Amino acid sequence: MSEKLYSLLSTVLNISVEQITDITGPENTSSWTSFNGYVLLSELENTFDVKFTIDEAMDVKNVSDIKRHLKNHGVKID
Amino acid sequence: MKMEKSLSEYMKLSEKLEIEKHEKKIKLAFLSSFTITGLPEILKTKCNEKQISCQTYLGSYNQYPQEILNLDSSLYRFNPDLTFLIFDLRNIFGEHFFYSSDLKPSQKKEFIIEKINELKNLFEVFSNNSNSKLVVSNLNVPFYSSYGIAEQNSEFGFHEMISYFNSLLKELVKKSDNIFLLDFNNFVSRYGEENIFNYRNYFFGDIKISLNLLPFFGEYLMSFVIAFLGISKKCVVLDLDNTLWGGIIGEDGFDNIALGPQPPGNTFYEFQKFLKGLSKRGILLAINSRNNFEDAIKVIREHPFMILRENDFSCIVINWGNKVQNLQEIAKKLNIGIDSLVFFDDDPVNREFVKKELPEVTVPELPKDSSEFSNILLALNDFSSFEITKEDVKRKEMYLHQKKRLDLEQSSSNLEDFLKTLDIRVTIEKANNFTIPRISQLTLKTNQFNLTTKRYQKEDIEKFNQSENYLVCSAKVTDKFGDNGLTGVCIIEKQKDTWIIDTFLLSCRIMGREIEKIILNYIIKEAKQNNVKTIRAKFIPTEKNFPIENFLPSCGFKKINDYWEFEIGKLFSAPEFITLVET
Repeated sequence: MSEKLYSLLSTVLNISVEQITDITGPENTSSWTSFNGYVLLSELENTFDVKFTIDEAMDVKNVSDIKRHLKNHGVKID
Repeated sequence: MKMEKSLSEYMKLSEKLEIEKHEKKIKLAFLSSFTITGLPEILKTKCNEKQISCQTYLGSYNQYPQEILNLDSSLYRFNPDLTFLIFDLRNIFGEHFFYSSDLKPSQKKEFIIEKINELKNLFEVFSNNSNSKLVVSNLNVPFYSSYGIAEQNSEFGFHEMISYFNSLLKELVKKSDNIFLLDFNNFVSRYGEENIFNYRNYFFGDIKISLNLLPFFGEYLMSFVIAFLGISKKCVVLDLDNTLWGGIIGEDGFDNIALGPQPPGNTFYEFQKFLKGLSKRGILLAINSRNNFEDAIKVIREHPFMILRENDFSCIVINWGNKVQNLQEIAKKLNIGIDSLVFFDDDPVNREFVKKELPEVTVPELPKDSSEFSNILLALNDFSSFEITKEDVKRKEMYLHQKKRLDLEQSSSNLEDFLKTLDIRVTIEKANNFTIPRISQLTLKTNQFNLTTKRYQKEDIEKFNQSENYLVCSAKVTDKFGDNGLTGVCIIEKQKDTWIIDTFLLSCRIMGREIEKIILNYIIKEAKQNNVKTIRAKFIPTEKNFPIENFLPSCGFKKINDYWEFEIGKLFSAPEFITLVET
């Protein structure tokens, strides 16, 4: 599942998979604009068949947060 | 539902596009009351897929009144060709979205009229300061109403208020040549309110069209781009077996193919009805089938549930040849470009072959499930036009006449004898309100017999026609087989001693009958009466107008620098077998 997640992050943020770490977030990635944040959520929901609440959506500050919320929805992430 | 790329794919693809790559170009502006980021990138990419270079401008979030009212705004500096103005119910209704029941029916009407007047003012300012066409969204009637089920019994309820707004907006738009309606309510009906709008996205980012469905909305907006550029498709070419009927006629036989009002034949039966509907608005139909001619034509002529009969097809090619050559033959016979064709075939191998060999042809993906065929046909936006002209409606009839002409041509010993027997009459008249839409349509669509390929919108033609410095004429052509309608246009810029041919074009439908010489003769005669000494013309070569590269020298024009010139007084003889009617 991690592979799927990293590939999605790479497509949406237009950066290579190698550049992505747990601390990748809007503060250190210029392509992570607020709009791309919405796109990311929407495509995470489609890919992993989950639905984030508004609190979860607003809580996402980096990749680590995404992994945490996905795990809470039962998605297995390494 | 049609397959679509995701928004992130569109955004990624749009970054790699070269702005000036294609011959066809368009500048699109987007103004809205909510977040539509991503929509310009979708349109850019979709335009590129249709060989259109597209530049975009995205207005600031919910600043559309300011951008329109500020005459020095970035919007006007961008100078768009088409501007999309997309607003939403909450934005227009404000607090009345929640509490409309507080108002009396008369107050509700007043509120709607006030909103429409505000928009009217914005549209006027916009039209006075921009040459762009404006495409305005209406409002969707939501499931929600504060009245609940009592909505239906209330006097001028919430939903009625929205419908009233939409009807007044439609009236406003109909009065203008420059403004068009984007039926957002219809878009929502197609994809469903709950799929388009979700509260999380709305509260989180003021996103009112789901990001998953934004590409579909972009596809809808492409209809306006296609109509604006006049690049709509002209002909649907159809396979027969498993496309117009179920089964294979050569194997299953006349009595066993699936076609009729009951399943399993009803999928094909209704698909044919939708195709017939398209043909009634001027889209041609043709057949390209690998079959024994006698087997297949028997179904078309005699099957009790065949909706499309022989006369519904402008060209029928049934043989064992290859489908690419057949498509080329169909385009040639109908005298239209290969890029005007849409090809429907259930066989993926045929589709791939055509896509590879003739990339200009639109080839929709057809699933094995024939119940999807109608939906796929209806989802195509390739036939979009801003209005349907008299000529569009009569197109099928005109091509049937063309077929008869071709038969006669083949039986005549030489071209001149053939032309003499046609009894051609050309009526030339100055442009007027009835002919201007068609004149504009011809400038937008004509590629082959077009000296300069200048594209003009309706309002451009109106401006020429109102100016003393221009002469705008059209030619209607009839012959013994019928009426070809308005099929020739010339626009002349009148200078003191010299007239300059700005536009000179003929629809491909009437090429090869020397009608161009009658029109040129008319221009020469008019010029002489106005004491003009020289007619100057230019031939601007494109990929498609090479058939007329020798037209000017063959009529006695001499090359002088970049121009071709004709000295008035010089002898010019127009064909005698054509009767000229001036009005």
